[in-house]
Amino acid sequence: MTGSRAAATPRRRFLTGGAAAGAGALLAACTSNTTSSSNSAAQTKAVSNNDKPGKPVTIGFSAPQADHGWIAAISKNAAAQAKQYSDVTFQPVAATNDVATQISSIKTLITKGVDAIVVLPFDGKALTPAGLQAMNAGIPVINLDRVFDTPRAYRTWIGGNNYGMGLAAGEYIGNTLKQQGKTSPVIAEVAGIDNLQLTQDRSRGFRDALSAFGYTVSIRQAAQFTVESGQNVMSNILQAKSHIDAVWNHDDDQGIGVLAAINQAHRSEFFMVGGAGSANMMRMIKADNTVVKCTVTYPPTMASSAISLARLISQGKGMADLTEREVPTFIMLNSATVTKANVDKYLPLGFES
Amino acid sequence: MNALLTVTGLVKSFPGVRAVDGANLDVQEGEVHCLLGQNGAGKSTLIKVLSGAHKPDAGEISWRGSPVSFASPLAALRAGLATIYQELDLVDGLTVAENIFLGHEHSALGFSRRRAAAEAATALLSRLGHGEISPTRLVGSMSAAGKQIVSLARALSHNARLIVMDEPSAVLDSGEVDNLFRVIAQLTAQGVAIIYISHRLDEIRVVGDRVTVLKDGKTVASGLPAKSTPTADLVRLMTGRDTEYAFPARPAGQHTGRELLTVRDISRPGEFTGVSFTVHAGEIVGLAGLVGSGRSEIVETVYGARKPAAGQILVDGRRLRPGSVPAAVRAGMGLCPEERKSQGLLLYEAVYRNVSVSSLARYSRGGFVARSRELADVAKAIGDLDVRPSDPRRAVRTLSGGNQQKVVLARWLLRDCRLLILDEPTRGVDVGARGELYRLIRELAGSGVGVLLVSSEIPEVLGLADRVLVVRAGRLLHDGPAAQLTETAVLDMVMEGAAA
Amino acid sequence: MTERTDDAPAAQGLGRRPAREGLQAPAAGRLGLRLPASVAGRLWELRSLSLVGVLVLLAIAGVVTSGGNFLSVSNVLNILVSSSIIGVVTVGMTFVIIGGGIDLSVGGLVALASVWATTLSSQQYGAWAMVVCALLVGMGAGLVNGLLIAYGRLVPFIVTLAMMVASRGLAEAMSGKKTQLVTVQSINNIATTNVFGIPLLVIIFAAVVLVGWIVLNRTTFGRRTFAVGGNTEAARLAGIDVRRHTALLYVLSGLCCGIAAIMIISLTTTGSSTHGDLYELDAIAAVIIGGTLLTGGKGTLVGSILGALVFTTVTNIFVLNNLASEVQNIAKGLIIVAAVLLQRRGTT
Repeated sequence: MTGSRAAATPRRRFLTGGAAAGAGALLAACTSNTTSSSNSAAQTKAVSNNDKPGKPVTIGFSAPQADHGWIAAISKNAAAQAKQYSDVTFQPVAATNDVATQISSIKTLITKGVDAIVVLPFDGKALTPAGLQAMNAGIPVINLDRVFDTPRAYRTWIGGNNYGMGLAAGEYIGNTLKQQGKTSPVIAEVAGIDNLQLTQDRSRGFRDALSAFGYTVSIRQAAQFTVESGQNVMSNILQAKSHIDAVWNHDDDQGIGVLAAINQAHRSEFFMVGGAGSANMMRMIKADNTVVKCTVTYPPTMASSAISLARLISQGKGMADLTEREVPTFIMLNSATVTKANVDKYLPLGFES
Repeated sequence: MNALLTVTGLVKSFPGVRAVDGANLDVQEGEVHCLLGQNGAGKSTLIKVLSGAHKPDAGEISWRGSPVSFASPLAALRAGLATIYQELDLVDGLTVAENIFLGHEHSALGFSRRRAAAEAATALLSRLGHGEISPTRLVGSMSAAGKQIVSLARALSHNARLIVMDEPSAVLDSGEVDNLFRVIAQLTAQGVAIIYISHRLDEIRVVGDRVTVLKDGKTVASGLPAKSTPTADLVRLMTGRDTEYAFPARPAGQHTGRELLTVRDISRPGEFTGVSFTVHAGEIVGLAGLVGSGRSEIVETVYGARKPAAGQILVDGRRLRPGSVPAAVRAGMGLCPEERKSQGLLLYEAVYRNVSVSSLARYSRGGFVARSRELADVAKAIGDLDVRPSDPRRAVRTLSGGNQQKVVLARWLLRDCRLLILDEPTRGVDVGARGELYRLIRELAGSGVGVLLVSSEIPEVLGLADRVLVVRAGRLLHDGPAAQLTETAVLDMVMEGAAA
Repeated sequence: MTERTDDAPAAQGLGRRPAREGLQAPAAGRLGLRLPASVAGRLWELRSLSLVGVLVLLAIAGVVTSGGNFLSVSNVLNILVSSSIIGVVTVGMTFVIIGGGIDLSVGGLVALASVWATTLSSQQYGAWAMVVCALLVGMGAGLVNGLLIAYGRLVPFIVTLAMMVASRGLAEAMSGKKTQLVTVQSINNIATTNVFGIPLLVIIFAAVVLVGWIVLNRTTFGRRTFAVGGNTEAARLAGIDVRRHTALLYVLSGLCCGIAAIMIISLTTTGSSTHGDLYELDAIAAVIIGGTLLTGGKGTLVGSILGALVFTTVTNIFVLNNLASEVQNIAKGLIIVAAVLLQRRGTT
């Protein structure tokens, strides 16, 4: 799942933004809901001389407000990564879901004269002028995930691959069913909010991958990225299909509801693949006592990488293992397929939903 | 004079009821044609058919010489036939001019032309002799009489040739009625015809030209001269009885009942000051005064619907919690409010639910309603009051005005209410039913209930009450036995303030 | 009315008085007078009946398009489970709307109660504490609504709109916008428990509807609700404590939200600030197509429940036939209009 989900529900945010802030203080007094499990943020492993302290640089950072686990992980990862470097001064600005506020906070970073800016725009299109302005001022911009309108507005883009996510899920399901010798399996898909481009991209990738095996999606229904909608949609799908071979659920957050529906219907004849890669789903994969056997990632670790890239760019370094002397301008991440076999490797990178 | 409107053999049925069953009516240009009949005689249905609100089942309506069938009130209005209902259909939040031109505003390219509208409104109001009313005043701030003038101006703005007025005097006091008659005279002089509906024969004598009498949906007499037809004849035609008002005789002996209600020096700024009086068990106390004199405010304060700024209200010598209706009701008070439909009745609901609404606690068995006991008691109460039809499950909105008033009375009978406050109990109630209400009120008093009666009709106060209080401009001017007062004396007091 | 003496002139006795001529209607007329009330009563039932008709049409559509699958026991129970949570919220909403108000905060209250009851500290105290917590949060927030509306004399629309925003905001703040997993197994078991083959959630739903129906139609509280909504001024002058009653209506709605919150916690095994999304619209739509007047004073609980069932049945049929969500939304809109039109034809 990407932060685009946040953009899909502007009404809700408009209505709730202020109230949440005010309620926070009250809340702190009357409840204690702090999780003790602060998962260690992912860090990029150091493999070369690049790690040695170089010219001290200041990296500005701007992202939307965290309204679900994925965005929260983005901000946390960026800050943790910056802490790894003694030569990096991390300069975050207040998270906001207001386009105008984000533009003005980026302008503040320009005025301060930071060495690089990492920005996850609330809305890529609307923030493009701010990116251009920074680039024109000679400050390299590392554009995270939601892409600017023009390549002139960023030095480097790094982000996830929604189509690739669908592809990865489709390939895992296709391979598994092929091994089981299924010729016309029943495959169900629980999509996210249907009018988002990212949902369409994921579904296209899923279809394309399955068609390579000669399989098709038997039933596809869209939920709302919420637990409740996941439960509701899945309970109806289970009624529609008395036998299912495999399920792909786009989003691990709504996946909790999907799983609840499956348990309530006492169904277990199929396996399920998740999406985005929450720590919760990975733990279930590791335990191997549910229908969840796999999840495909859309890693928020990209924020950690973005900080590293910003440092390299502003210190004039390239990426050590590549021949080029400069950091590439476009980095699309691979959607990893996490199964019981490799879950231990990815579990530290999973985000708490 | 030419025939403006001719109605022949009009029939209109509703499921189960033939509301109009062969009505005839002819109205000439420039005349005041009075329509008489008891409630339920079909007057309201007849005028609703005329105004296009209902479609007739049979019969013919001819308007200015040609047969018509108005598809809607708007169509009738456009043809020149306007109706002013008892419940004035003005918008309180709009100004006088905006109300007059509602639906056909002065506008240019969608922008309202306020000045043009104001001038046109003033011109229309002047035709009614009321050029002094400001067209920018909010209608909600006006008296009932003022609103009536605005309604008339609205009718004139549509070039009305015929204006139907449904009980226009019911909301007016005597000075305002005289003014209304002057306005009507001005209109008829301009060739506008009026259909005038009223229960008050004295008014018909003054303002009317000819009279048509309806009974049970049929025209029983038409074209009678309004000034010279004997009252007895008209009453007999309407009801088959001989008298207009029949007040029950006061009991021979003096009231020896104990003091039930004591009002001590209550005030509300801007409404009334220093009001004190008492009501004894078994006594009917009448409160006379003009609209706006503070009389309704006083009784509402006694009832707890308004909170007094100063003073005390005691029942049986115990102080009432001020400004609490539940406290007043618990102490044994009951109110039949002035506006029956908007303040008294739950119009969606059945008769029995309207009657028992104040006594629910009595029929509560651990929160549950004891329905059979409730229904039996309500049936008895409405039987005692002769509510017709006597079916307690019938929807209250289908009852006539007099029977609706009895339903509100029955509400308090069911509670064994000891102090009944009646605000304009006979408004919109026809002649026959009035006599019956008077008799009921007297019987209630006879059974020991104290009654506080408010009425704009001075003969009603004098005829029914044992003792009369006169209010003017928020002050109590007089407190004495009704037998010692005349209508003229009371009129002098309420108008001039000449203390007796 | 008490005993009367026989010496007063008018003492014929109120009940024994001979009928006056003026109102001695012809026999046909008097017979006819009984008709309207009973006809109106029958047509009133028709309103609900026409919704049953809509459901039957939907069922036929379901059977035609997806065969025996639709009418299978497990699918019917699935529809009922899907309806149960919004159904419970709709019960409270029906009371509020009949009482002349509106409650836009129901979705927010479900979210808030679900989050509050599933914080780590709440879960430490076990299942019963969580249940009590959800009910108290719902009723407490409802009480705030009620006090502001009844005693603060604010418009219900505004107060509950503010509560809708604030409660969801508070839920987001408490949960940190994270989904709170429930580890208390007995709570999660509610959704998986069947009693004589019927899911416990459906039984809770039925119980709430039954209690709601009894309260609305058989108690003084229900009577007063109709009176207050039908004519507030008349109810006040009849001696009803209108303000206290109004406040209680919102507490009742909040209580229903609390019950719904427990049900949704169990069904999704989570508490989340995203729970109860758009419940206010679904519940109001169900109440309105159920034939309750938006202005208050008139309505039925059965109609509201049928209205809620119509919605979940539509969703179910669409998923069974694997239709895209945009088609579902169009059809839902059409069905709302069709249901209301059908009822109008039934009543006029």
